[in-house]
Amino acid sequence: MSDPVLEAKGVAKVLGHGAGEVHALRGVDLSLHGGELTLLMGPSGSGKTTLLSVLGCMLAPTSGTVHVCGHPTENAGAERLAELRRNHIGFIFQSYHLFPTLTAAENIQLALDVRGEQGEKARTRALDALARVGLSHKIKSYPREMSGGEQQRVAIARAIVSDPSAILADEPTAALDSENGQAIMGILADIAREPGRGVLVVTHDSRLSVFADRIHHIEDGRIVRVEENSARPENLRAAAGAPR
Amino acid sequence: MPLNFTLASRNLLHDRLRFVATTIGIVFSVVLVMVQMGLYLGFGHMVTRMIDRSDADLWVMRRGTKCFEDPSLIDARKQGAYQAIPGVASAEPLVIGFSDWHMKSGAITPVFIVGSNLNGIGLRPWDVVKGSVDSLSQEDAVAVDETYHERLGTSGIGSTAEIRGQPVKVTVLTQGIRSFTTTPYVFVDMNRARTYIGIPKTYANYFLIKLKPGADAAQVSKAIEAQSPTYEVLTQGQFAERSRTFWLFGTGAGTALFAGALLGVIVGTVIVAQTLYSSTKDHIEEFATLRAIGSSNRYIYKVIMYQALLNAVIGFVLAAIIGYAVVLFTRSGSLPVVITPWLMGAIFLLTVVMCVASAFTAILRVVRIDPVVVFSR
Repeated sequence: MSDPVLEAKGVAKVLGHGAGEVHALRGVDLSLHGGELTLLMGPSGSGKTTLLSVLGCMLAPTSGTVHVCGHPTENAGAERLAELRRNHIGFIFQSYHLFPTLTAAENIQLALDVRGEQGEKARTRALDALARVGLSHKIKSYPREMSGGEQQRVAIARAIVSDPSAILADEPTAALDSENGQAIMGILADIAREPGRGVLVVTHDSRLSVFADRIHHIEDGRIVRVEENSARPENLRAAAGAPR
Repeated sequence: MPLNFTLASRNLLHDRLRFVATTIGIVFSVVLVMVQMGLYLGFGHMVTRMIDRSDADLWVMRRGTKCFEDPSLIDARKQGAYQAIPGVASAEPLVIGFSDWHMKSGAITPVFIVGSNLNGIGLRPWDVVKGSVDSLSQEDAVAVDETYHERLGTSGIGSTAEIRGQPVKVTVLTQGIRSFTTTPYVFVDMNRARTYIGIPKTYANYFLIKLKPGADAAQVSKAIEAQSPTYEVLTQGQFAERSRTFWLFGTGAGTALFAGALLGVIVGTVIVAQTLYSSTKDHIEEFATLRAIGSSNRYIYKVIMYQALLNAVIGFVLAAIIGYAVVLFTRSGSLPVVITPWLMGAIFLLTVVMCVASAFTAILRVVRIDPVVVFSR
């Protein structure tokens, strides 16, 4: 197995102070490897999003270590963490978080712009990413002109356009109907097929487990079980209708 | 075009009502600054107009004279002595002062008499539109500005009136020689000026000194002051500066104009700051998303700065158009608003500084963004 693109060891996170103190994570170990789609499942309040925030370099752990493509996040300042996110991680959010005043292509290009990639080359890369999620016909569409499923595809294109090693998705299908949800997961599974790129999806929807190579179950801030999904059908992507 | 500029401009125009309100605020603020500073320049220009228009290199006056319109009497018989000083090409007395203009209708209005040697370097009327300056050597001839016809009860060349019981006839009309005191100037021959004002023939108010080429002004000044210890000698520039300082700051007029301009800057800064802050607050999720996808703080600051600069440029352009209209409208008034290219450039810079400074409140808001909020919304 290749080196993990994201690795958490003994990660604990305490939120709040005094009487309001909550132990959101209690010594979590988790590795995300390239070429794999991993699901992080658990009930509400189990620590899924907190773990995603820590792995995504948005939240510093109270204890334990996190490595992003081999880079430690310990003692890293806000700008260094932003740099790690910029260079190694793509994010997909439950509510898409697209910019309403930018077109689909511009939304995607923004992920390159923050990296200093501009001009025609960046534009071409953005259009390629849009084509990859099957939305070449929506280049000039604004988010308000697209369905939820289409907006989430644009968000996926934004996450992959800079070619990050890790994709972190927070409940990417929660706001979608079943058909769109399956399609989105198909695209993510397809992305995870690429060597050197790992996809971690946070969800509480057990129907998505068929797409996963590995499933981490989290409860009360602890990983209570890890399942390997050796029977994952390779044709799920095609069955979900995801574009290649 | 950089994408963060696109984002900034779209965010700015997204809420059109707010954009219009902000633009109006900036335009109001910039126009206020522009007019106040334009009045300051115009006023400064008006109060030294007579001094600037003279051909004199040096002005001799009684020590402590505050401004052109604050004359004290000096001995006109010193003319010969001054002319004998090495380096002096000519020394001409100048007589000025207030008097009353009696119209045919019986109405009276104050006027400011300017009397000088019409053949020398004295203050002759300029921007003449009718008549000849040479005609002022006639016994009752005077020159007035045509913008004062109503005030003086005149209608053109040939109009008559009385000053201090002496009949006068308008033989020269000028255009635009207006006084900031609103008291009309009346140009006459020096001797008749004494009569109109009521001062003896042996007195004048100033001596205008013309230097020979290459003469040392300081040496000449020293020589004059040595001969007349109660007098002082100022260069044209020094006298203009003294007059300007007196009228602008001695009277408080300049301070009031500056205070108005400062008020404009404060109003503009507050308006832009408030708008940028609320705009940033409205788009806070977008900024958090930018931060989450790895943008540096610098990138986000640029978005806010671009918004501030767009506000500045749009506001300034509209304000400049209004400012130009104000300049045209006041051009022939008693106190024209003067906007020079230098002032325009300075106000543009001020507008940019004002808008950029306003952006700091928004930036302070953005600095506190925690990107993790994107997971909870």
